[in-house]
Amino acid sequence: MATATGIHHRTYRSELRLRHTKAEYFRLALMLVLLLSAPYVLDKYWLGITNVILISVIGAVGLNILVGFTGQISLGQGGFLAVGAFTSAIISDRAGVPVPISILIAVVMTAAVGAFFGLPALRLKGLYLAIATLASQEIIMFVVRRWEWLTEGKGFLEVKRLQVGGFEIERRMFEVQWYWILLALAILAVVVARNLFRTTLGRSFMAVRDQDIAAEAIGVNITRAKVTAFAVSSGFVGLAGALTAHYTETVTWERFTLDVSVLYLAMIIVGGLGSIAGAVYGAIFMGLLPALLTELVDVLGSSMPALSDQLPALKNAVFGIAIIVFLLVEPRGLDRIWTRMKDYIRFWPFRY
Amino acid sequence: MKFSTRYAAVATTAAAALALSACGGAATEGGSGDGASGDTAPIKIGIIADRTGATGDVGTPYNDGMLGYIDWINSKGGIKGHKIDADSNDYAYKVPTAEELYKKYVNDEAVVIQGWGTGDSEALRTKVAADKLPFMSASYAEALTDPKESPYNFVVAPTYSDQMRVALNWIAKDAGGKAEVAVFHNDSPFGLAPVADGQSWVTEKGLNLGYKAYPMPKTPNQVGLLTQAKAQGAKYIVIQNVSSPAAQVAKDIKAQGLDMKIVCLNWCADELFIKTAGADNAEGHVMVQPFAPPSAQKPGHAAIDEYLKSKGSSLADKGLHYAQGWYTMDVMAKGIEKALDAGGELTGEAVKTALESISVDTGGVVGAGTVAFTADSHRGSTGTGIYEVKGGQMVELAANQTPES
Repeated sequence: MATATGIHHRTYRSELRLRHTKAEYFRLALMLVLLLSAPYVLDKYWLGITNVILISVIGAVGLNILVGFTGQISLGQGGFLAVGAFTSAIISDRAGVPVPISILIAVVMTAAVGAFFGLPALRLKGLYLAIATLASQEIIMFVVRRWEWLTEGKGFLEVKRLQVGGFEIERRMFEVQWYWILLALAILAVVVARNLFRTTLGRSFMAVRDQDIAAEAIGVNITRAKVTAFAVSSGFVGLAGALTAHYTETVTWERFTLDVSVLYLAMIIVGGLGSIAGAVYGAIFMGLLPALLTELVDVLGSSMPALSDQLPALKNAVFGIAIIVFLLVEPRGLDRIWTRMKDYIRFWPFRY
Repeated sequence: MKFSTRYAAVATTAAAALALSACGGAATEGGSGDGASGDTAPIKIGIIADRTGATGDVGTPYNDGMLGYIDWINSKGGIKGHKIDADSNDYAYKVPTAEELYKKYVNDEAVVIQGWGTGDSEALRTKVAADKLPFMSASYAEALTDPKESPYNFVVAPTYSDQMRVALNWIAKDAGGKAEVAVFHNDSPFGLAPVADGQSWVTEKGLNLGYKAYPMPKTPNQVGLLTQAKAQGAKYIVIQNVSSPAAQVAKDIKAQGLDMKIVCLNWCADELFIKTAGADNAEGHVMVQPFAPPSAQKPGHAAIDEYLKSKGSSLADKGLHYAQGWYTMDVMAKGIEKALDAGGELTGEAVKTALESISVDTGGVVGAGTVAFTADSHRGSTGTGIYEVKGGQMVELAANQTPES
């Protein structure tokens, strides 16, 4: 199909397919091999980083549904992660509910809280909505910090090692076993999100983003679309939060501050707004950046000790620069860069 | 054309695979130290330090003290011929970064971990227990002293709660009657650690004190908080925070012309507080500090001062937190030494067993002088000194105070 200039479709079925070219199937196969071999190639430290990335993939995909696809900016990501984490931790540890069910409850709970805090979106747009979601972030932070019964006055929650049925995570195999769990869930999240935008609901989200008045004119129920977008997005984020709780085995509010909300926004901006693949790329990029910087400073540290003294500051600076560079050079992110690379090769020797 | 697309895909993924394996390779190289199996194999220690974060003002000298001790002992040939190979990184007082560093150290096969804050120590305590790595930190939260709850945490100094009790005892005596106490605390697990215990101490001992806690906001001045304390009628302000914000309170008290006395616990009870506030503003305030300041000239200060003089500095310049870091590392090193004496492989478990039976003489610097642990209690020492700021110096009012004395 890619023999001519670009990809052409002769039937609707072929257009609706997720993959159009053989190269894309080939890439899928390679990705699978890479993902399946990762736990045998990577050591525990890098596998740990991979696991954190897999969790942020779920969270970033969720946020991209809201910000990238529906056009409702949200600074409440950290708060929604906290709702998921605290719900699942409390329900599984205090009520003795099995973890898979507690995670499910956390997803539903976060979706409900997300829908509630999404209500201002019915009246507000753009910067005004950003401030309203900022308020939701602060309100949730206030609740998890000040309602003492949540943490029984300790200020943090300890979560038992994951145990499902007769299976318990072993200390020595901790990262590997978690890798499989998180990989499965991350793939599930990506597939669900990818397919969401082939449905009426998903398309109504995009219509709201592109032109809400026009969308209403063609019969999209804007109220419903906006609130559902908040709920669906928060559901994904709740899943990421619940997994954070069980994976790190400690829930403290410090993991869910405004910084985290901004970090997730940075992920989807760097990866590409309005693209599921972009959210994945962004999560990988933002997850690897600090680790690679640490390695780099480790290597250079002996000759430049000032560098290792200032590592956290350096990390912040690099984050900032990365975002600015992406906004200037390619506002549509890594995903768009990847598409352009593919197009260049596909259309060669022609420009387009 | 078809060929080139596929070729590109292969090339890109191959490049990605290469990049990935390069990451893995680099990390395994870094982590391939073989622990302490050889005769003089270096001992790996992971240090989680705050140099640039919210508590960096006191975290930097503490970390310097640890690194100084390591440099000093390595120059003397290390612990029984084993050099200490310390990996110290700044985590900027952020719990997730601390966890990231901790994972790195576990992977690098560190034998023990030196931490810093209350939030991260509490967050990591189940992990260090599962990984069997002895963990000391500069957090003296009560929860960390109970081996049943935190089997691998060791606390060298009197807990924040004990410091608070000592402070309240002193206030009750100093006031000689009914007095209102305002507690200004850092808005974090560290700040909150002694707040509830202080309240129950007041009721339990029937102290004639009013008691109210306020989290300190991150504002340029603390006038708003002082207004609230004034409305409460507070004459004493106990501060559980680091030096810089506490010094701001001292400045604001002077500027507002209020008649209040600050009682600083551990982390603001230092020379930095006096320097930042100015000797004038700091005059007359009181400090509860289990670590003897260099001005107290305890025998344990001599070795540190000698080392620092050889580096063209002095302990008086570095301050008491330097000594604090030094002796925390010293206690850990003594534990490692004892574990090496016992023979067998040097593991976290062996160091824990050794630590549970040691008694380290710190030459009067920490608490009452000695730090000792048992299998039932990881509370290293109990005594704490009380100092008053006079003419820009910390002058001892009472030594070796415990809640019951």
